[in-house]
Amino acid sequence: MTSLRAELAKLADGLLSDSVPGAPETDFTISPEKVDDAAAVLRFAAKSGLRVLFWGGGTHQGMGNAVAADVVLTTHRMSRVIDWQVEDLTIVVEPGLTVADLEAQLQQRGQTAVLPETAPGATVGGVVAAGLSGWRRLRYGPTRDRVLEVVLATGDGRVVRGGGRLVKNVTGYDLPRLVVGSLGALGLIGAVCLKLWPLAAAQGMVEVADPRVALSNAYRPLAVIETEVKAVVYLAGTSEEIAAQAERLGGRLISGHRWPDPPTGRWELSLRVPAGQVPRFVDRIGSHGWAYQAAHGVGEVRFAVEDEGSGELGAMRREAEAVGGALVVMRAPADTDLDPWGVVPESTELQRAVKAAFDPLSIANPGILPGGI
Amino acid sequence: MLSGLSRGWLRPRGRKEDGRLSRASGSATRPMSLESDLIATLGPERVHSHPLELLVYDKDAGVTRGKAIAAVLPETTQEVAACVRLARKYQAPVVARGAGTGLAGGAVPAEPALLVVLTRLNDILEIDAEARTAWVGAGVLNLDLSRATEHLGLHYAPDPSSQAACTIGGNVATNAGGPHCLAEGTTVVHILGMEMVTATGDVVMIGSKAPDPSGLDLRGVVVGSEGTLGIVTKILVKLTENPPAIRTMLVTFDSIQAAAAAVSGTIAAGIVPAALEVMDQPMMIAVEGFIHGDLPVDAAAVLLAELVGLEAGVAAEADVVERIAIEAGATSVKVAADEAERALLWKARKSAFGAVAQAAPDYYLHDTVVPRTKLVDVMTQIYAIGESHGLEMLNVFHAGDGNLHPLVAYDAREPGSEQRVRAAAEEMVRASVAAGGSLTGEHGIGLEKRDLMGLVFDPVDLDAQARLREAFDADGLLNPGKVLPTGARCYDYDLGELPGGGAQ
Ligand SMILES: Cc1cc2nc3c(=O)[nH]c(=O)nc-3n(C[C@H](O)[C@H](O)[C@H](O)COP(=O)(O)OP(=O)(O)OC[C@H]3O[C@@H](n4cnc5c(N)ncnc54)[C@H](O)[C@@H]3O)c2cc1C
Repeated sequence: MTSLRAELAKLADGLLSDSVPGAPETDFTISPEKVDDAAAVLRFAAKSGLRVLFWGGGTHQGMGNAVAADVVLTTHRMSRVIDWQVEDLTIVVEPGLTVADLEAQLQQRGQTAVLPETAPGATVGGVVAAGLSGWRRLRYGPTRDRVLEVVLATGDGRVVRGGGRLVKNVTGYDLPRLVVGSLGALGLIGAVCLKLWPLAAAQGMVEVADPRVALSNAYRPLAVIETEVKAVVYLAGTSEEIAAQAERLGGRLISGHRWPDPPTGRWELSLRVPAGQVPRFVDRIGSHGWAYQAAHGVGEVRFAVEDEGSGELGAMRREAEAVGGALVVMRAPADTDLDPWGVVPESTELQRAVKAAFDPLSIANPGILPGGI
Repeated sequence: MLSGLSRGWLRPRGRKEDGRLSRASGSATRPMSLESDLIATLGPERVHSHPLELLVYDKDAGVTRGKAIAAVLPETTQEVAACVRLARKYQAPVVARGAGTGLAGGAVPAEPALLVVLTRLNDILEIDAEARTAWVGAGVLNLDLSRATEHLGLHYAPDPSSQAACTIGGNVATNAGGPHCLAEGTTVVHILGMEMVTATGDVVMIGSKAPDPSGLDLRGVVVGSEGTLGIVTKILVKLTENPPAIRTMLVTFDSIQAAAAAVSGTIAAGIVPAALEVMDQPMMIAVEGFIHGDLPVDAAAVLLAELVGLEAGVAAEADVVERIAIEAGATSVKVAADEAERALLWKARKSAFGAVAQAAPDYYLHDTVVPRTKLVDVMTQIYAIGESHGLEMLNVFHAGDGNLHPLVAYDAREPGSEQRVRAAAEEMVRASVAAGGSLTGEHGIGLEKRDLMGLVFDPVDLDAQARLREAFDADGLLNPGKVLPTGARCYDYDLGELPGGGAQ
């Protein structure tokens, strides 16, 4: 390790940093300032057989299989806005920029990247890598539909660019969409170009009795969220438009948006099922008295569990898998028996080959994906 | 089945040492052949190999031609898989083909290949009105799906102008766009999953009705892969709710630049209409001669803008679009009074290429994309390029996306005309790229733009794409010679050579 440390220290001159709170203890913590530095570190790691764990805001490190790492690579020094084309509604940012900072900047020009509304500390790179979408995806689609270009430092230290800074483009394979949800298995996201949306003139919420009925009565709401407390339809548009929507929904219009905080507990889970199945699973989760947030029309239910003893999570997972869905662990106690992913996807062998195309020695977040990819 | 062909290609062939297919043709015949195996699998009616039968398959709607060694018409996924396995056995390349309306030569074999035609996988398998999804066979025609879901108040949003003829499988393979993809997104946004036959002849399911598949999400790279990563046999699509209110406007301008400025201005003002299409005067004259729709043929350019949503919002946005258009120099604004008028405007838009096809002996339809802020600039250059080559050019394009479609009408019998057309094409691509744009917005790379990929990607980027392709198809069986330029995979990346020394 000493000679490795010396070599790495030379390579990462000035980039070695103290370990990050919350991150696993490793021999090296490196905080590159640009993607080329990150690639050089990855190249060195690949040559030296060191495994690398990527660290953004650390808010979603509970996802996926545990990664045994020799090096932690953090993105907090890569947090610049590289190019914001306000009039073309695109922005290029580095991965370490927090979602909150990005959205605050965008808001000043009446724009949004539609990234998760409640993710304190989460970084753009982390959210893209984890494939997380905000509540407003019901109207604006998931995060994968707004990553237009990506620069990736691959697991063997190449710097690869895919896509383009254009809202429409079919030039070459869609690497940006491949990177979304890849959880660092292909390499470190060095920059992304995001498609932006204009913020609507007016925003409002209506509390409803039956979210399912509301979903079919409202015209393209931003979100229909049900929690153990209430169900709320989120609206945006001109003030006349949202007033008309509220009337159609038969409820009182509350102005502005307040998003529920994600449920927290010892186990934090994301149930992903066909949208029509949400009510059934909500009933089941509710019957245990667990805190939940269900995205109607989308098919995701986030919920938290304090005490899992009964095997109910495993049973629910099997039911979700039977309808083509999944029960994904977002956070769990270290000693849990619950697999982070559940059944492996049918395309696992193809996925393994794709991983190898970017990270042939499997050093980038090794094993984090289903099937130990 | 007709016989009497030279069938050197039908022999099983050896593999070169590097693991790639050896495509040297020989002349010896063997009793066992790809053709006889295909016939044994599909029956003689669904295997075409006579040159006359193959004539219809030697091109798509673009200008490039190629040769198929046979075309097969499977009816099930299992038959598609069987055809791929047979092609693999004889080491014949495989090219998937939908309706053949592609414009980049994607379905045209770059080297003699087995064409797997998907048009008979044309069943709409399931429509789930509550989940707003449908499972369709790859050969279902785009428009047929929207027709089949109309009574449910739903439609399939991507609407290429060729929607009455092209297949959804072809749309997936090209990531097709259309006028209404401005707000709704191109095909990829509407594809939730697919069943795919891989290069090894296996069947794999990717994605599902549930959001966010676990593991690497392969859907995005399969969409737009032009048949190079697999043959898509069934597709799970998202259906879109029909809007309660629609406002369709036709705005006239006395220059194309003014129309383009109105488009850039609308986007910059934070409005994302359902569609923003621009047509120039030469195109309008051609269309008018075709549909006799009383179009404003005296205007230099028109903007077709459509706003959808709730009445209150549509009215407010229409006012803004109108104001911006007038500021940009609009000479008139007309709102379609009823569904019949609206339908006529869209008929004009969508029959544009058909109108030219009827009038001109030959045409070459371009497809590039630029940032929306550069529309005025690039359109000016495009006209100048056409003029400098003495070409007759007509324009109708998805302006709101920055997706340009200059169309050159010419007569291929005129000596040198094709060279001029191609030279102009490359200049237009270069002008778009120089403005921060790219090679293609929706028609794909295919054969047509393969050798221009280096204009937008470095060797390292192209090499990464080639490696990705190899992950799906190690032997280069599927649609070889498309999308990536030859030699893309030659970027030599050797960890041992890198600074720091000490290879592992
Ligand atoms: C008049 C006209 C107007 C057009 N307008 C538009 C437009 O507005 N927007 C637009 O995007 N395009 C447009 N196009 C182009 C064309 O219609 C689209 O590219 C369409 O998606 C092609 O579908 P197809 O079924 O004809 O596919 P084909 O042309 O048969 O094939 C296209 C590509 O897809 C591959 N492929 C086909 N099926 C499969 C499958 N099942 N699995 C794997 N690969 C497959 C082929 O190998 C090929 O690479 C237009 C074309 C014409 C002639």
